[in-house]
Amino acid sequence: MTAIKYSALAIAALATATTANTAQAWSLEEAAKPYEGTTITVVGLERPSYDAAQRLTSQFEKKTGINVEWTTFPYESSLKAQTLNFVSRSQQFDLILTDVVWPVTFVESGWVQPLSHFTNDEELVNPDLDLDDFVDIWRAAFSVDGELYGLPFDSYSGLLYYNKKMLKEAGFDGPPETWAELKDVYGPKLTDRDAGQYAFALQSAKGETQTADSFTRMLWPFGARYFDADAEEMTLTSDAAKRGIQYREDLAQYMPDGIVADNHSQVVQAMGQGRVAMITEWSAFYTTLKDSKIGDDLGIAVEPKGPDGRYSAFGGFAYMVSAQVPEARQDAGWLFAQWLTSKRMARPLIREGAVVARESANSDPEIQEEFPYLEPMLETWKTSSVPDWRPQLRCYPKFSELVSDWGTRIQLGDVSVDEGLQGMDKRLQRYMDQTDCWDTVNQPRKYMDAM
Amino acid sequence: MATSLDASEAKVAEHKRPDRPTAMEHATPWLFVLPSVLLLLAVGLYPIGYTFVISFHNWTLGQAEPSFTALSNYVEVLTDGAFLDAVSRTMLLLAITLPIQLALGLGIALLLHTHFNKWLRTILQVVLVIPIAITPAVLGLLVQVMFDNQFGIINHALASIGIQGVNWLGDTTAAYTTVCIAQIWQWTPFAALVISASLATVPSEIEEAALLETSRWWPRFRRVLLPYLWPGITAVLVFQTAFVIKQFGMVYSIQKGGPGSATQLVMLEIERTAFRGFDIGAAAAQSILMLVLSILLAQTYIKLFYREAA
Repeated sequence: MTAIKYSALAIAALATATTANTAQAWSLEEAAKPYEGTTITVVGLERPSYDAAQRLTSQFEKKTGINVEWTTFPYESSLKAQTLNFVSRSQQFDLILTDVVWPVTFVESGWVQPLSHFTNDEELVNPDLDLDDFVDIWRAAFSVDGELYGLPFDSYSGLLYYNKKMLKEAGFDGPPETWAELKDVYGPKLTDRDAGQYAFALQSAKGETQTADSFTRMLWPFGARYFDADAEEMTLTSDAAKRGIQYREDLAQYMPDGIVADNHSQVVQAMGQGRVAMITEWSAFYTTLKDSKIGDDLGIAVEPKGPDGRYSAFGGFAYMVSAQVPEARQDAGWLFAQWLTSKRMARPLIREGAVVARESANSDPEIQEEFPYLEPMLETWKTSSVPDWRPQLRCYPKFSELVSDWGTRIQLGDVSVDEGLQGMDKRLQRYMDQTDCWDTVNQPRKYMDAM
Repeated sequence: MATSLDASEAKVAEHKRPDRPTAMEHATPWLFVLPSVLLLLAVGLYPIGYTFVISFHNWTLGQAEPSFTALSNYVEVLTDGAFLDAVSRTMLLLAITLPIQLALGLGIALLLHTHFNKWLRTILQVVLVIPIAITPAVLGLLVQVMFDNQFGIINHALASIGIQGVNWLGDTTAAYTTVCIAQIWQWTPFAALVISASLATVPSEIEEAALLETSRWWPRFRRVLLPYLWPGITAVLVFQTAFVIKQFGMVYSIQKGGPGSATQLVMLEIERTAFRGFDIGAAAAQSILMLVLSILLAQTYIKLFYREAA
């Protein structure tokens, strides 16, 4: 069924392209004519990709006469703002920004349009849209029931950033290959607490950073999973989960004090100041680190392997079109999202500091030479990422809060690893059973087989 | 002549006055207060009533319509470790800061009352308003900068006298201490101003008479000043309790309730439940429980401390 839907979408796009070629060449200017003067509001985050997008937006406005207003939020507030927008039917936002863990919530509530709503309209679809150029994992991540809902933008993989100079001074030629090596070999040699120097920092601030970056990161490589969706059972008391989270606790001795309070920017700052030798962070932070004090000493590699293999952090966003706004604004919003995430815009956006999911741009040797994070990022997406690295559930926000709550308690030493995982498992099981959450589990991994 | 005129006017007035007030006269006072009453109902009582109703419903924002679940939200909330921990943290903050604020506020008020001339007192009273007037979010950011582990002025000052810096915002105990300090700094002036106003009600002749009786400060304070201070002290207790229970902006700006959950006060927990977990029913139950707690505490303060000066 999934394969059929994807094939149908591809055929529709191809047919549209063929028709357009035979009839009249498609142009953004022509497509946008009915919407000239329309104002659309686009949700953004306070992150480099959106700064880059905003700098280039005037190009779109000049071509189309469509006015684009950006509303940017800190990540932590963006889901709240968008949910309230939908629940109150305020029609405040035309282009919705979804994290990889929110599509089910948005789609099941009927708040967003499937992409086929626009790709089936030959007047709106750019023949050069080429959805297949988005790396497979990204199309899978934003698909629900086999239907694609979002155009990926600001697309990350977890990467290992390291300070070449610090590693060299400690006698290492390159970064660690495995998590065990990072802790047992690199940790002791790169940590000097008296000098305020640490081998590693793992962003662990309470909230989604704790759930995703700190907790989930240590589940997958050690062979643990959150749950067995078919059996409708949480699996956080498994030996693998205990091994992974115990590893995190042991690794803390090589991290700065108070790491449990640090979010992305604090960890990036610590590395940028030369206080920390290695961090595992999103590819989006390359520009910030490159512009920091360590500059040319910045090295980038794929995340280390665990006993169960290499499973790097996976996260990022996509633009979806609100189904609550009038049709004209939906179409204008689609045109903007299509333009922003197009193959043509990918290179300028990367050069402005954005991270995109376009394979053609990310694999371009010329760009790769300019931006060395692209190669490991692409490699990660293709070899060591899973689209539902964090579970895709309709009730994910509360699920994540519960994980974060218990994960933080473990990290603070309020409970042991064993007690913490038992408590988390029990609480999540109760929550998942009480709600209809098991029925809303989306497993985009299965869509990748059809790609 | 004058008497005769007055009597005649009074007779006319009596003649004009109806025996009973008209409906309009009856309604006039009510009409005057009606806008305020409606406003109060709209912005005060209706949200409380609505929250009360929602607290008996299972309502996850954006997932389903609210459905009646009787007391299950209350059961869940009262067995939820995170909420109970947040309540404990809030009550501890109250227990630490309230006596200190009261003692410092009383001290400042007595100093203002006895040691400064009128002009200086007025200027100092204006200065005392400054911490109260600072927006909580701005205060939080100021604290964040001042208490920064590496660049903050507090650690810099400690280092200058040979004391090793503290990881104020990264360590759980230190972060909680930071919140206590900020809370005391912001709200002690409020206590000082209220107590200062109470001291101003003490008649000067009574103070002078007491001074003739004894030159010892304590008996004069206890027997003469303190009876005038109880209403003010009760007001300080009630308001400061409310300020601590509803504390959100400052603590959120400092460390968003962290590190971990170290400064996760009850309002942050309610916000987290409502707008991060989107569990509106549970958040409503938490809010109602805190409202009940606030009312109980206020009643207790009034019962224990409120008495008018004889």
